[in-house]
Amino acid sequence: MKRLSTVEEYNDLRRIILDEAKEEKPCIVISAGTCGQASGANDIIRIAKRYILENGLHEKISLRITGCHGLCEVEPFIMVEPAKNLYPKIKMKDVPKIIEAVIKNKVIEDLLYKEVGHNGEKPCLSILDIPYFKNQTRTILSKNESVDPIRIYDYIRHDGYSGLVKILNNPTKYGFEWIIKEVKKSGLRGRGGAGFPTGNKWEIARASGNGAAQKFIVCNADEGDPGAYMDRSLLEGNPHSIIEGLIIGGIAIGATKGVIYVRCEYPLAIKHTVIALRQARELGLLGDNILGTGISFDIEIVRGAGAFVCGEETALIKSIEGRMGEPRQRPPFPTKKGIWGYPTCINNVETLANIPVIISIGAKEFAEVGVSGNTGTKIFSLVGKIRNTGLVEVPMGIPIKEITYDIGGGSIGKAKIKAVQTGGPSGGCIPASMFDLPIDYDSLSKAGSIMGSGGMIVMDENTCMVDIAKYYMNFLKDESCGKCYTCRKGTQRMYEILEDITNGKGTFEQLDLLEELAEVVKDTTMCGLGQTAPNPVLSTLKYFRDEFIEHIKYKRCPAGVCKELIGAPCQSACPLGTEAWAYIAHIKHGDYEAAYGVIRKANPFPSVCARVCTHPCEDRCRAGTGGGQSIAIRALKRFVTDHVDPAIYKPLKVVKTGRDAPKVAVIGAGPAGLSAAHYLSLRGYKVTIFESENKPGGMLISGIPPYRLPRDVLEKEIESIIDENVTLKCNTPLGKDFNIDDLFNKKGFKAVFLAMGAHISQKLNIENEDTEHVYTSMEFLKSFHLNDKNLARGRVGVIGGGNSAIDSARVALRQKDVESVTIFYRRTRQEMPAFEEEIDATIDEKIKIELLVSPVKIHTKNGSLSGVEFIKNRLGEVDASGRRRPVPIPKSEYIAALDTLIVAIGEQPSISDVSTFGLEFADGRKIKIEKETLETNKPGIFAGGDVVTGPNTVVDAIAHGKKAAVMIDRYLSDIDLYQPISPQLPQEYIEPVEVEEELGKETRVAQPTVPVDSRIQNFKEVEMCFSVEEATKEAGRCLRCDLEFTQLKQDKKDEKESLAAGGKE
Amino acid sequence: MKRENIIDIVDKNYRNNGGIISILEDIQKQYSYLPAEALKIVAEKTNRSLVDIYGVATFYRAFSLKPRGKHLISVCLGTACHVRGGPVVAEEFEKQLNIKAGSTTPDREFTLETVNCLGACALGPITVVDGRYFSNVNRVKVSKIIEKARYGLDKVEIGTDQRIFPVEVSCPRCNHSLMDKSFDIDGHPSIRVTISFGDTHGWLRLSSLYGSYSIEQEYKIPLDTVLNIFCPHCHADLTGASLCPECAAPMVTMIVQGGGVVQICSRRGCKEHMLDLM
Repeated sequence: MKRLSTVEEYNDLRRIILDEAKEEKPCIVISAGTCGQASGANDIIRIAKRYILENGLHEKISLRITGCHGLCEVEPFIMVEPAKNLYPKIKMKDVPKIIEAVIKNKVIEDLLYKEVGHNGEKPCLSILDIPYFKNQTRTILSKNESVDPIRIYDYIRHDGYSGLVKILNNPTKYGFEWIIKEVKKSGLRGRGGAGFPTGNKWEIARASGNGAAQKFIVCNADEGDPGAYMDRSLLEGNPHSIIEGLIIGGIAIGATKGVIYVRCEYPLAIKHTVIALRQARELGLLGDNILGTGISFDIEIVRGAGAFVCGEETALIKSIEGRMGEPRQRPPFPTKKGIWGYPTCINNVETLANIPVIISIGAKEFAEVGVSGNTGTKIFSLVGKIRNTGLVEVPMGIPIKEITYDIGGGSIGKAKIKAVQTGGPSGGCIPASMFDLPIDYDSLSKAGSIMGSGGMIVMDENTCMVDIAKYYMNFLKDESCGKCYTCRKGTQRMYEILEDITNGKGTFEQLDLLEELAEVVKDTTMCGLGQTAPNPVLSTLKYFRDEFIEHIKYKRCPAGVCKELIGAPCQSACPLGTEAWAYIAHIKHGDYEAAYGVIRKANPFPSVCARVCTHPCEDRCRAGTGGGQSIAIRALKRFVTDHVDPAIYKPLKVVKTGRDAPKVAVIGAGPAGLSAAHYLSLRGYKVTIFESENKPGGMLISGIPPYRLPRDVLEKEIESIIDENVTLKCNTPLGKDFNIDDLFNKKGFKAVFLAMGAHISQKLNIENEDTEHVYTSMEFLKSFHLNDKNLARGRVGVIGGGNSAIDSARVALRQKDVESVTIFYRRTRQEMPAFEEEIDATIDEKIKIELLVSPVKIHTKNGSLSGVEFIKNRLGEVDASGRRRPVPIPKSEYIAALDTLIVAIGEQPSISDVSTFGLEFADGRKIKIEKETLETNKPGIFAGGDVVTGPNTVVDAIAHGKKAAVMIDRYLSDIDLYQPISPQLPQEYIEPVEVEEELGKETRVAQPTVPVDSRIQNFKEVEMCFSVEEATKEAGRCLRCDLEFTQLKQDKKDEKESLAAGGKE
Repeated sequence: MKRENIIDIVDKNYRNNGGIISILEDIQKQYSYLPAEALKIVAEKTNRSLVDIYGVATFYRAFSLKPRGKHLISVCLGTACHVRGGPVVAEEFEKQLNIKAGSTTPDREFTLETVNCLGACALGPITVVDGRYFSNVNRVKVSKIIEKARYGLDKVEIGTDQRIFPVEVSCPRCNHSLMDKSFDIDGHPSIRVTISFGDTHGWLRLSSLYGSYSIEQEYKIPLDTVLNIFCPHCHADLTGASLCPECAAPMVTMIVQGGGVVQICSRRGCKEHMLDLM
């Protein structure tokens, strides 16, 4: 490379470079930033080079290696220019295929990026069709695509250094006054977090230290904020833009020395910057007498050594000087007194990356993006629990939800997004309810967070906010430099309190102390680290105080994160506290009776739950959350209940008062009512269950179809509950034959448990809903399940996306006069509330699902149903439930011809029967209770199950019933209902069985099912039982999280015993 | 540890009071930690008090005063990695290596440390082993990573690994082939060049497999020696204009048959290389 000595020479070179670029051959672009390399981009590059070399394809295709494009989630990928096709997550074997296709000007559709859309996946031809890119404004980041960071010519070809050359070309017109004025006019604010106007800073630096022998301009690339990495990406992907920004800044403030201070954790950024600096110097763009203009400016790299506090400007200066990075008091500000006492201007990487843009396009055009006071774009690193993770660049001032949903694509699984954390350890958490907040410096700080360098960490229901606060405090206590006592000790103390809370030892007094400490640390520390350190605590306390209370008062971690409260995740996830780990361990030992004992001890409905439980245990299972597949816990339970005679289990009876035991009435013979009766009976109470239907079982019998829960299984389990203390009265609806007052006053009951469930189907409220052959799902299911009536015929339509819709559809399919079954749902499959496996089974059984349609009107012919008019929807904004709202598309109505319509859009409790007894209600349709005691506002009346929660799971209903028994017992025994709560940790030690296979390596054993063809004609059970081999194998995959709590105790016991034995000899 | 070596490092990095951090980084790069003796030499040579140097060495997380293992495992505990299960990964490494984070296995094979953020947040949890990044790490992947590190992350199966392929090169000046069909390395004709360092002149043969670092040499070349490399036909100096981005030694340029340029670092032991297609 020849050193250029005039601006003309530079322009000549640029012309040559641009002419060269005119050849029109396709180019494959491989992004190989740190994230790309972590995903295997280097292998892809190798294979591409090999294939091109070996097949002599140089003339037909070119290859460009670039830095990060932003969508790190899909790396390694190949982007093809000029078509901009994106092939995500490619394998080495795909590379030759893609190269061949590119040469032939073809596209491999199977490998293209696919948008997860309404009706499955849709391939995106160009990156401009991908929502992730489409919804961004990529002024800065888009350059990473076109530039190979280690080739200065690439940068020049794409208008690089044109801002600098513009200035050098006409130094009288574009002098330092002009630069500073222009930057001020652009409204650019520091992208490092504090948002100080860059132009003003430069003006101060310019004016500062007149006559000083030296001035410095520093690029702060000590991106210590965990979770933010845009600076790394810019330095790696486009180092020349930062160099150009620094040179311009140097000219503006009158500095001849620049420093890039970059963390040592970014080796690739350092490497690319070193290369770029060398090239710029060789070309004469850097160093003495730049392009012969007499201007001298050089840049050196200083590597950080891993200290967060060095991002603070006074600490950074000390670090550059080779000292401990302890901040000092300001003023004097670095612009007055910086490196070695000389005036020093410190700017963030992203700030400097914006400078060439402002100089080239002009301040006016720059300021048109964004909002007043917050101009231009900002890059965020969107990471954590979100579908599309990566770097996004958006205009300032757009609402958070556009970033999280439109660009980020929402949550990964079914867990809802709870909050975003911005600003790293100095920032705070913003709850999902505030996602309308515009993202700019001022709004964020008003909400208790800060912009910071642009980290945006998404958290969902599986993220514990107390744990997050603890995480940041742990970080800060380690990174506090120790100079200010309140920061050093305050962060330490706050961490200890948070640790106590996550360990279940927290108290409310500590919570007050935490808040007090937070204020003190904020007010009494010297630098930014200390002053903002309490933010993570204060903001989580502000928006998520209920989670702190759960930890302190109920010793519960709702997200399932805090170990000392969780114990074994399967056990803590179970509303009944079933020790799944224990029965799985017994299965592995072949001791099925012991396994049954464990299950039955916690749950009076083992066989029912083995079939229809929503298995929250599996969702929290560490074998699953740790990257593999969760243990098939429910299928193992099924194996045990199928292999053991329930008679072996004799429940423990605590007979209290004998013959004159108080009488308790239970309303509703569903899972909640039956469980309450069972546990009350064990305590010696005389229980009468009043059931309005002709059979007991509640939703278990009226709602759940027999192919999921065979009736003999259900009946047997109910029978075992109706013992000598329990009287069951069917066909006895409350409000008709008796009322609550009678129970107390006339019939001598001392307590009542209301568990009527939620059996009232909601209506569509559209025209002609009362037409013949239009049913609600409960009406349809009950007719069949309780009275053996087949109501479905011909073409059946089911409206809804929940479990009762799926159940109705699958039951209808099995009825004899049915031709076809179609489910109509207003959103997409992703949003369907039904269980995943049920939806799968529905699709297996060839039931059609029409998505994104809403019913408008029911059409009739001769007074009978003829069809339903639907309107098509598109997904709009995210609503309060975290799901996208369906928005009707005008004039898209169509009619589906139907002979039967089942409306399954949800159930609600029937409270009209109890509305006259002075009970209080929640939301106007559920019975209001005291959460901890299940008491209603009327003494002696308790309530539980769906009637208080709305439609909910079987296992939750059983848990309510079980708890009601305890509470009613305490109430009748005149004991305080509130009990001290302690976390349920594994107690019993069960020796682990040595397994040959490596833990977690084996995949989950699939539960066998009856083939589709032989099941859709009848109501026989679909799911089958594991064989002994399958069960043993599956049980062997358990990670035995319990051992962490029991092993140590056992080891100590063993030690003691062996010592004792030794002593005897 | 050689005293001269430390003095060299100080001389290279020390300027008007600055550069202490770079000095310590370079020492650590060579010795894997900061030996007490080295710190004393640094203090002496820079005219700063030992307590000053010790302060810097203990203030920054990147420095270690204890010898570290052959392999360095860094588990990222940045926020994004934390919410995606970083702590579980760290715990699993602790369990499998049977050491706590921040310490070294008794056989000096592995050092385990946790770091605050490695800046690959989109792919968390991240673990870096000997400079190699592993993304989306989970409990299951941990044992595989340890296994691979023990085996050697750079080791490749020549012959079966499709990332390794032969290139034929020639001299950029006289265009003579540099391939030596009579002398195979890795089962392929080798690349022959002549070299000199100090008073030594001789031949050097390199594997022509791109991705293999096998060489044969006439005289033993000490590690870190920067070589002068010549074409055996026209005796032209093959050293190009650019410098190694890793170690700043000159890069050596050769023409690749079929259209390309390969550059390799002239420093013995530095693996930096680059293949450009033209």
